[in-house]
Amino acid sequence: MVILLPFVLLAVQNPAPPPAKLSASIARVFGPGTRVDTLRVDTSAVLRVSRADSLLGFAQVGNVLGKDQPITFLVAIDPADRLKDVDILVYREPYGGEVAYEPWRRQFRGKTTGDSLRVGREIRGISGATISVHAVTLGVRRLLADLTAWHQRGAIR
Amino acid sequence: MRRFLCWGLWCALTAAWPWTASAQERTTVGGYGELHYTDSTGTKTPPVVNLARFVVYLAHTFNERLTFRSELEVEDAKVEGAKPGGEVSLEQAFLDYRLADWLTLRTGLVLAPIGIINETHEPPTFNGVDRPAFDHDVIPTTWREIGIGAVGTVPGGGGLAYRVYLLNGLRADGFSGDEGIREGRQEGQLASLANPSFTGRLEWARPGWKIGGSFWYGGSANADSVLGTGSFAAPIALVSADLRYEVGGASFRGVVANISVKDAGAIDARYSTAVGSRIAGGYVEGAYDLLRLVAPGSSQKLNAFARHERYDTQASVPAGVTRDRSLARRLTTLGLTYKPTWNTAFKGDYEIVRNAAGVGEREVLSLGIGFQF
Repeated sequence: MVILLPFVLLAVQNPAPPPAKLSASIARVFGPGTRVDTLRVDTSAVLRVSRADSLLGFAQVGNVLGKDQPITFLVAIDPADRLKDVDILVYREPYGGEVAYEPWRRQFRGKTTGDSLRVGREIRGISGATISVHAVTLGVRRLLADLTAWHQRGAIR
Repeated sequence: MRRFLCWGLWCALTAAWPWTASAQERTTVGGYGELHYTDSTGTKTPPVVNLARFVVYLAHTFNERLTFRSELEVEDAKVEGAKPGGEVSLEQAFLDYRLADWLTLRTGLVLAPIGIINETHEPPTFNGVDRPAFDHDVIPTTWREIGIGAVGTVPGGGGLAYRVYLLNGLRADGFSGDEGIREGRQEGQLASLANPSFTGRLEWARPGWKIGGSFWYGGSANADSVLGTGSFAAPIALVSADLRYEVGGASFRGVVANISVKDAGAIDARYSTAVGSRIAGGYVEGAYDLLRLVAPGSSQKLNAFARHERYDTQASVPAGVTRDRSLARRLTTLGLTYKPTWNTAFKGDYEIVRNAAGVGEREVLSLGIGFQF
């Protein structure tokens, strides 16, 4: 569909987010008091989030390249494969940090792989943050597709 | 001194978090450029084609916190002695030290954070082959100076971001009637630090929205004994506000600015500049993506746009200076921008240039391409 800049996905490196930021993000998305298990799928790490015996969803950390820095973000889905939330864990660029603002990230909630996520259509952009907006949207689409596919074929459960 | 040490210690400690160790050094290359065709009405104005800008963006990341960024520009394809046009210059060259989302320390040659185009000037980001004339004659784009500052998002600020800098100031001996403070910029070249100046910006963003306010305050006397040797002698005070809004296929933007040249009378007497004591104006622009109507599934864009600019570089003049009414300019630009991708643009526009004196009025047809990567 969109052939926008495959190079933004050339994650030249994959810096891990600081553990404190990751656990704060999980708490923000899934609420406090959750149990988090790390599952291995292929070469990726997926976080399985549960409380008591009930599954709350899955989350994965990814990196996309902004103008010159990786943007470290998290995508979380619920057990029905709906996108629960997107979080920006580490943003390092000089311009474009608006992608971390909740009103922008909120646009992704409830989306599934059946929705097309296009900048300027389903996802409204932000002036002055064009590169980051395109990069993160593309990254979210990719992680959402991966998580959904793995969940549906039972690689994560 | 002790506080300074504590600050340094804190920087060192935070920089030494184990998670920063994974970052590798690397160099990033990018760039942008634009090619123009212009045909102006009037005698002795044959059509011109020009490689207006070619800019190489070069950045190097030293570690998780420290990054160098630069833009090296060639204007008009080449520079040759004794021939008009042509410039090779650094548009930006600075070091960023990132402490937190709310605080990045920055030092080097930086862009004044004023208006829209001065900071965001890549050709695919604006409609029209050339930048708005307002962003040449009023906000002297690309305005960059050397100094230090801080940038970041306001914590818990609900979408607020700031930039503040202390930079070298303007020089009054470069001011003029038709281009205001433009040639008073020093652009990092053996710049006089006689008049350190403050500039800053606060902006608010939401999906589809960006609203900003900017200022510049500083002297321009450059230790000239006639104008004053104080740091803030012959002060320039600029305030500006801007708005960008996108909804559906429609987009709007507007900028206004007001520049007070307090000692314009003394400056004009000293340097025969005819600079106005007040320089003011702005523009509004509306655009609509026509591809929404014919190809709703497309990710390409075809913006039809209209822009109206009104500004006067002699909105007020000091006693003794005769106001030149041809400097009260009105420009209307109608055109199309075709964007096969978000970072490439094919442009065409028709510009109607008018002024209050009715002299030197003209119409200009322009075509152009622009890219960034």
